[in-house]
Amino acid sequence: MIVLAYILLILAGAFLLYMTFRTNDRRYIYLAVAFYVIFPVVLTMQLPIDISPESQQLYDAIAALPDSSAVMLTFDYYASTLAETEPMSRAVLHHMFKKNCRVVTMTTIPLGGPSISERVTRDLAEEYGKEYGVDYVNLGYKANYVAVLKGMGSSIKAIYPADNSGTPLDEIPLMAEIKNYDDLDFICVIADNGVVEYWMSIVNAQYGIKIGSGVTAVMAPKIYAYVGSGQMTGLLGGMKGAADYEKLVGKPDAAIKGMAAQSLVHLFIIFAVIVGNVIYIVERRRGKGRV
Amino acid sequence: MSFVEHLQIWIAAFFMLSLFSFLYKDNPFYKLAEHIFAGLSAGYYIGLVWHAVILQTMINPMIQDGKWWLFIPGLLGVMMFSRFFKGFHWISRYSLAFVMGNTAGIFLLSELHGKVIPQVQATMRSVDPSQGFGGLLLSVIIITGVISTLLYFYFSKEHKGLLGGVAKLGIWFIMVSFGAHFGYTVMARISLLIGQVQFLIFDWGGSIQQIFF
Repeated sequence: MIVLAYILLILAGAFLLYMTFRTNDRRYIYLAVAFYVIFPVVLTMQLPIDISPESQQLYDAIAALPDSSAVMLTFDYYASTLAETEPMSRAVLHHMFKKNCRVVTMTTIPLGGPSISERVTRDLAEEYGKEYGVDYVNLGYKANYVAVLKGMGSSIKAIYPADNSGTPLDEIPLMAEIKNYDDLDFICVIADNGVVEYWMSIVNAQYGIKIGSGVTAVMAPKIYAYVGSGQMTGLLGGMKGAADYEKLVGKPDAAIKGMAAQSLVHLFIIFAVIVGNVIYIVERRRGKGRV
Repeated sequence: MSFVEHLQIWIAAFFMLSLFSFLYKDNPFYKLAEHIFAGLSAGYYIGLVWHAVILQTMINPMIQDGKWWLFIPGLLGVMMFSRFFKGFHWISRYSLAFVMGNTAGIFLLSELHGKVIPQVQATMRSVDPSQGFGGLLLSVIIITGVISTLLYFYFSKEHKGLLGGVAKLGIWFIMVSFGAHFGYTVMARISLLIGQVQFLIFDWGGSIQQIFF
């Protein structure tokens, strides 16, 4: 039955592509992409996932931390990129809680960051029986990320006098042990914007603390250069990176479920690009001038 | 699922479908969703900045801890608004001068120390015969790419002869880089679509099932 569904899907994709080139209407492409996304999600199809070396490097870095290490996890992303970034945050936080790390979360993004970090940390803390204020703290949002990143090197309390719920940091036991970057063993930055580079150029370069990251696929090619130079310890690139980490921590979730659709759409786009170029070349040779 | 949770999911699904409807053509539902998003974002941002910045880092420390000197950055912030008043807009230049000087000082160090020097160092150190033939080949490709791309952006001499050939090679490297970026961009956009489809099928679909079946 599933095989038949996929044969129909391939035929439908070919027909819609034919209609696109025949009518020059890009909406047929949208329809084809919608088919290729919806079907694998509905049929919960899964394809094998090979772990990329950069994802493995991040996993190894966190796995190598001693138990009860103090770590920071940032939620530097907007709600619009949740599909890529939230699975990363969840998978990394699973690993941190499994390792009994003491986790400090924060965000430099106002639209989404504070509420997402609150939701994700509370969800997972409940699963692992972690206590707020003792095992983890959510500092929330603070404006002007450059000042925030620089300032936390001297004193986290000076930048965040209170946590995300307004509780003064003096009343939170965990924050009595974590004064600044010197008290942290690792920082994992999950971001959908350029702030990840400031974490590297300000915090890693000036304070020497190891930083790993998870970024949206759009940003990944740029960040690879920092992994290659050793400035970044591991990288999760887009949904594939999130799926890698879900597999590594043994918590298959949204990213792994989405990878089949991702692969099918990629195949369709590759096919469309090849067919489009062949048609373009053939028509140009015929001298029709129509693309 | 509570009534409020159902309501939240239905509102999210309505606005999501309204925005998707633009793919067919522009329509009032898309416009409505777009305008509500813009208004909500502005309102949320103002509330957040008031609470997390103005209250927490200025007003509360001034009143509770006696840090009276915080009125200086506060004043600099207020001075920025003078741009809206003709004849007084020059006052904002003092605030801008402070911001620009501060930013230049911070970024001069971080860009040089955190990006330029480590990247140059890593490129110089990449040739290591001990990493085997494959590693060595990659290092040669990296160094060739860096040099040819840099030479492509060297405009003090006409791109002819050897310089022209190397610059052309630089264009090839840049094109490959654009291709990689485009591939990743496709992956990113499709990921976002997958996320929305998962929401519509599992969350909204689950809500429909609970309410109607």
